[in-house]
Amino acid sequence: MDLAAAEAIKGGLLVMGYGLAAVGPGIGIGIVVGNAIQAMARQPEAAGMVRTTMFLGIAFTEALALIGFVLFFLA
Amino acid sequence: MEQLILAEGCNVAEVTMCAPAEVSELFQFAAPWPELAAWFTRTQMLILLIPVIVIGLFWLALRNPKLVPGKLQMAVESAYSLVRNDIGKDVIGPGGEKYVPYLLSVFMFVLIGNFYEITPFVNFPVTSRIAIPGFLAVFTWIIFVVAAVRKQGLAYFGHLIWPPGVPIALKPLLGVIELVSTLLVRPFSLAVRLFANLVAGHLMLSLLLGTAGTFIWASLTNPEIGYGKGALGIAWFVMGLGIFMFEMLVAFLQAYIFTLLSAVYIQSSIHPDH
Repeated sequence: MDLAAAEAIKGGLLVMGYGLAAVGPGIGIGIVVGNAIQAMARQPEAAGMVRTTMFLGIAFTEALALIGFVLFFLA
Repeated sequence: MEQLILAEGCNVAEVTMCAPAEVSELFQFAAPWPELAAWFTRTQMLILLIPVIVIGLFWLALRNPKLVPGKLQMAVESAYSLVRNDIGKDVIGPGGEKYVPYLLSVFMFVLIGNFYEITPFVNFPVTSRIAIPGFLAVFTWIIFVVAAVRKQGLAYFGHLIWPPGVPIALKPLLGVIELVSTLLVRPFSLAVRLFANLVAGHLMLSLLLGTAGTFIWASLTNPEIGYGKGALGIAWFVMGLGIFMFEMLVAFLQAYIFTLLSAVYIQSSIHPDH
């Protein structure tokens, strides 16, 4: 594969890379929120604390997807 | 501003969406008065406006405090009580009162900086330039490391490298993981989380709404571009409105998350036994 062809598909490879990177956090956030919903259903009076911890968990897992998004522009 | 950037380079008849040649064009602005100072760009003016807005808001709301508050006083008091009670006291625990001024400053700065993205004639989030979330994360980093060193002395770093209460075979591995995670990943992820959320939001809003405007305008004024592009422009506009509503949530959520995580890191420094 010569240089011009490699340059042409570079953008496509970047997008594919980000797509792959977004699979993990997507599943992760689904698990966090699902368990949070279950916890809130089992014990409604703990809903406030569960909600706060849920946001914390979402922030941590989403950070990985966003690092992938930033690297998409960096390369 | 972004409308101009998108409109001038866009060949409406060909493309499905107007995008500038280099995506960073949507994030950089030239200095309006170059003879004043090269650094005094639109971004800098917006940053200098943030403390004016925050101080003005708090002053207006609290200069005649009533026992039964009016609307502005209620809004500002609820923001303050969110940071002081739900984040400062509940998360940090005893000794958290000292950090509430810092947490409130960070919260209000990031909140107003994010809200610039959805403000009508501004539409540029100040926190989408990496320096601002970067330095806020550096402040949080300095604060939680200094708080830990004050509380536990230099044994803090010893506990990071050689964690107590862990089987001896795992100590080196866990030590490296914990050192990198606490001293490097925490501030980096704090900055990048805020930065990337805002960059993604600004990019989507600029492209969608800018393209919609360009297409609809071209479809109405330019006779050789048919109404198909106008319909596509309306579709982009509807999608842009949906993203706009989502960005309102993201602006507040990212400010809350930044403050909450700063408080969690401070709590893990001054109450290490939890």
